[in-house]
Amino acid sequence: MVIQKEKKSCGQVVEEWKEFVWNPRTHQFMGRTGTSWAFILLFYLVFYGFLTAMFTLTMWVMLQTVSDHTPKYQDRLATPGLMIRPKTENLDVIVNVSDTESWDQHVQKLNKFLEPWEQNMRPVTLPPAQKNDVCLPGRYYEQPDNGVLNYPKRACQFNRTQLGDCSGIGDPTHYGYSTGQPCVFIKMNRVINFYAGANQSMNVTCVGKRDEDAENLGNFVMFPANGSIDLMYFPYYGKKFHVNYTQPLVAVKFLNVTPNVEVNVECRINAANIATDDERDKFAGRVAFKLRINKT
Amino acid sequence: MVGGFSILLWIGAVLCWIAYGIQYSNDKSSSLDSVYLGSVLALVVILTGVFAYYQEAKSTNIMASFRQMIPQQALVVRDSEKKTVPADQLVVGDIVEIKGGDQIPADIRVLSAQGCKVDNSSLTGESEPQPRSSEFTHDNPLETKNISFFSTTCLEGTATGMVINTGDRTVIGQIASLASGVQNSKTPIGIEIEHFVHIVAGVAVSIGVLFFIIAVSMKYHVLDSIIFLIGIIVANVPEGLLATVTVALSLTAKRMAKKNCLVKGLEAVETLGSTSIICSDKTGTLTQNRMTVAHLWFDNQVFVADTSEDHSNQVFDQSSATWASLSKIITLCNRAEFRPGQESVPIMKKAVVGDASETALLKFSEVILGNVMEIRKRNRKVAEIPFNSTNKFQLSIHETDDPSDKRFLVVMKGAPERVLEKCSTIMVNGQEQPLDKSTAKAFHTAYMELGGLGERVLGFCHLYLPADEFPATYSFDVDTMNFPTSNFCFVGLLSMIDPPRSTVPDAVTKCRSAGIKIIMVTGDHPITAKAIAKSVGIISANSETVEDIAKRLNVAVAQVNKRDAKAAVVTGMELKDMSPAQLDELLANHSEIVFARTSPQQKLIIVEGCQRQDAIVAVTGDGVNDSPALKKADIGIAMGITGSDAAKSAADMVLLDDNFASIVTGVEEGRLIFDNLKKTIAYTLTKNIAELCPFLIYIIAGLPLPIGTITILFIDLGTDIIPSIALAYEKAESDIMNRKPRHKKKDRLVNKPLAVYSYLHIGLMQALGAFVVYFTMYAQEGFRPSTLLNLRVEWEKGYVNDLEDSYGQEWTSYQRKYLEWTGYTAFFVGIMIQQIADLIIRKTRRNSIFQQGLFRNKVIWVGIASQVIIALILSYGLGSIVALNFTMLRPQYWFVAVPHAVLIWVYDEVRKLAIRLYPGSWWDKNMYY
Repeated sequence: MVIQKEKKSCGQVVEEWKEFVWNPRTHQFMGRTGTSWAFILLFYLVFYGFLTAMFTLTMWVMLQTVSDHTPKYQDRLATPGLMIRPKTENLDVIVNVSDTESWDQHVQKLNKFLEPWEQNMRPVTLPPAQKNDVCLPGRYYEQPDNGVLNYPKRACQFNRTQLGDCSGIGDPTHYGYSTGQPCVFIKMNRVINFYAGANQSMNVTCVGKRDEDAENLGNFVMFPANGSIDLMYFPYYGKKFHVNYTQPLVAVKFLNVTPNVEVNVECRINAANIATDDERDKFAGRVAFKLRINKT
Repeated sequence: MVGGFSILLWIGAVLCWIAYGIQYSNDKSSSLDSVYLGSVLALVVILTGVFAYYQEAKSTNIMASFRQMIPQQALVVRDSEKKTVPADQLVVGDIVEIKGGDQIPADIRVLSAQGCKVDNSSLTGESEPQPRSSEFTHDNPLETKNISFFSTTCLEGTATGMVINTGDRTVIGQIASLASGVQNSKTPIGIEIEHFVHIVAGVAVSIGVLFFIIAVSMKYHVLDSIIFLIGIIVANVPEGLLATVTVALSLTAKRMAKKNCLVKGLEAVETLGSTSIICSDKTGTLTQNRMTVAHLWFDNQVFVADTSEDHSNQVFDQSSATWASLSKIITLCNRAEFRPGQESVPIMKKAVVGDASETALLKFSEVILGNVMEIRKRNRKVAEIPFNSTNKFQLSIHETDDPSDKRFLVVMKGAPERVLEKCSTIMVNGQEQPLDKSTAKAFHTAYMELGGLGERVLGFCHLYLPADEFPATYSFDVDTMNFPTSNFCFVGLLSMIDPPRSTVPDAVTKCRSAGIKIIMVTGDHPITAKAIAKSVGIISANSETVEDIAKRLNVAVAQVNKRDAKAAVVTGMELKDMSPAQLDELLANHSEIVFARTSPQQKLIIVEGCQRQDAIVAVTGDGVNDSPALKKADIGIAMGITGSDAAKSAADMVLLDDNFASIVTGVEEGRLIFDNLKKTIAYTLTKNIAELCPFLIYIIAGLPLPIGTITILFIDLGTDIIPSIALAYEKAESDIMNRKPRHKKKDRLVNKPLAVYSYLHIGLMQALGAFVVYFTMYAQEGFRPSTLLNLRVEWEKGYVNDLEDSYGQEWTSYQRKYLEWTGYTAFFVGIMIQQIADLIIRKTRRNSIFQQGLFRNKVIWVGIASQVIIALILSYGLGSIVALNFTMLRPQYWFVAVPHAVLIWVYDEVRKLAIRLYPGSWWDKNMYY
């Protein structure tokens, strides 16, 4: 059967539309009468109201199954990741020594980043409850609940001075960025109830990724010495319990990086219970970043 | 078929590649994800296309294998030798020889003929044998006696002829090319699917563009916006539907083939279901296509003979002596013979050499008297005058089988009035009585009565020749007629008809209750046509034609109000004078119409007239002359046994058993598949919202992406495929044969309530349920819903390897990625679980699930099992294959969506209950799809 399309003139189309929008004969607006619209709107109001309530209810019930303090499952966080500061786009730390602006943003970021470590140390400004403890090095600082919730948990002091030349305290070189000897801070991701190191000492080491990187990298110093991380900062009890927790940091100061060359640096943690060879997760127990110091 | 979707997916694929191109030009190390996705989309389009083609080809193959053309041979004189060559090698000018039983190999002019009769039914539809000789009798080649046409059959005699046309230039070839000139139209289901594609594509494109604009104005990168667009398109397009519809249709096609309806194109499966008018042929479709003795008149009484297919019980009184004489005449005055070698074949199925009436009489007597050939042998024939159109009688002279009776018996049959002229006495109860006025009147009443039934009436008489005048050695000469041909004794009348098939009246009743109008279109005589129409119920018992009313009221035909008559019998001559408007009026005002004495072209006009009424027209036919109408019809139905090849190739469907009743089963299947496709589409559309919402929420609320494009493809082409096919096995909810046929323009496959209910009701509930699973998984892993809001930007930055969750823990990008995939899996499982509920609710549209029975359709459970098993394999079996983005999901998350699934079920039961309780209400109008 041949379908003959009736050609409609433009005026007819407009007329049809007009009639669709408001049909004076049947008093229909957009194909429905007023009562019909009222019905349908009321229906959807009730129906969607009900659905929203139902959804809210199920979500509320679901949230009841989740504790405020510790997540129900942590299976995805078996290996904590490593990360650097300053946090730059694609982890490229580029320093143009002569261009103050280029490194000042890093410095600002670092100042901001290190603030909590600073604050927790200031005895005068903080009430004692919020002041961090001086803990025994080489041991986990465990604060078990023993049947009753015991919180807030106390956090151990991490003194910025441990970061030596990279502490930024009274530092005219701005963490070395103004002199082309930048400090890069390495931190390990917080994972609740994770006993990092399995009771053995651990430390962070950095190397150039390939041979030429190692050459170009030159000398560097780690703070604290050997890049070691103390057990006393573990375990972490979570944001709600462990107020004022400041995680341990390791700073690397690169002393004589070959200028104007991109250097691939990889730092990893050496700890008994942290695998650093996950093929898929390139940041499990390690961190790779690029360092480039431009000098004219 | 679903061209629109393919285009959308192609756009998606191309966008993927463009996106990769942009990414690559920015960053040489960018991941190949979009390339993979684009390739997968392209692959989906190609595979579904190939699949549909394969299914289509498979059903066409059935057709091809069915046809099994036997190469036709012709006996031709070439180089003064008789040679057998294939008919297609004949050339104009060849001299061919034809004998009884041959098919004419080309259009030929008869040069010489001996008793040649041809059956032109393949050309004209009427199987009346026509004599052929070398005389030129008419200007019209179709009427003249000296031309025989290609593909007609020679019934008896021999002829020699010269080939005047071959191949496409033959008369039949010209009709065939007329048929191929008629444009093929879209099938109703094709139109419906196109309409549906337009709706879905419209939704997809408008939401896609809308959110593209929103995304761009929300300061998303254009590249990201393109990727959103791809996601929205992929989520909106039901990728698996093309394959599903094809499979559902081919399942029905198979089921129909089992019931003797062979469907050539898959889409024609549904066309039959929406048929509102059937234009049926009479001969062979409604009738058995063989003359059968229907009534007898002797002893001043009319007797009814059994006309059923097997003649099993002839119950009329056979004790009368008149019957003995009559039966003898029937047996002896008959030239038809059974073909040899058919001892095991039932009498009614035996092949006979002879014309239709003689065959009928032969079979009739064989059934009642037993071995006719033996009787004929005992009553040896000494002379005979065959039937011819000037004499209008047939006569033969026999010795009797009574050894003591030396008289010859002359038996005669023929046109009743001619036979009666030759009679002076009439036999009543075995006694000869003089033929007086009252008996003559009785004869005429009976003759008129039987003739009025549309039956062909024959008169029978006999005469015993006195033994002294005609001794045993007397030599009869039929040319000089040296024997008496008058003063016969009239014995009885016998009327024959091509009786309706026994299954037809029932089928007609069913069609009528299904709201299908049946129009009979035949080349036969109006009286015969009307009689058959009445006997099968096409004209119902209490309806009258204009002529009937006029006769009853004793007024002129013109005075009768045409609207009072339900039925109408229209001849080809009357039809010729009608304008299209008049024809429209006729078709609209009469519910029972018979067209008689129509030509092939008029058949086409009738079909067009019906189509102007917005009807979906089915046409049945068998002859080559029917093929243009078959092609013109929305669905052409050819007869498998009697149908010519031209009719079969022009038709969309072939009735393997030539039985009209098979059409009714076809209609039923067609309607069922329409309903079930509705369910399948509703089922398939529902989850599209659940797949789409994640993208919208992702763009607006900045959650980590809840479901990936690949995962969506796994739902559309994985878990959902078998369940949606399973819906094709669903039984009808109510008696679909008591419903009016659907209106082509009003009852759409996908209507507004269906789309709205699937998208905005169930789809949305499903999306919410899936989000609950998603949020649960994230919350229990450390990201509470409040944290997730607007986390997207940080979440997706590859270098952010210390993203903090709600508990202060920090996540590397890969850990997040893995969690995101777990989120995909959770959302996927959420949809899958709710699709089970969706599948169950889609079993019915009006009835409660409990009325329909949960376990009647076992395939549904196969579907559910397949869904669960595929999901289990994806989550636990392929969990480690990163490219597929599935991870192991904790067992409990599989049950999180169950309350929502139950809610869907309950909600739908409430909907159906309200529809059943308040039919026609606002609810019914808005919620019944």
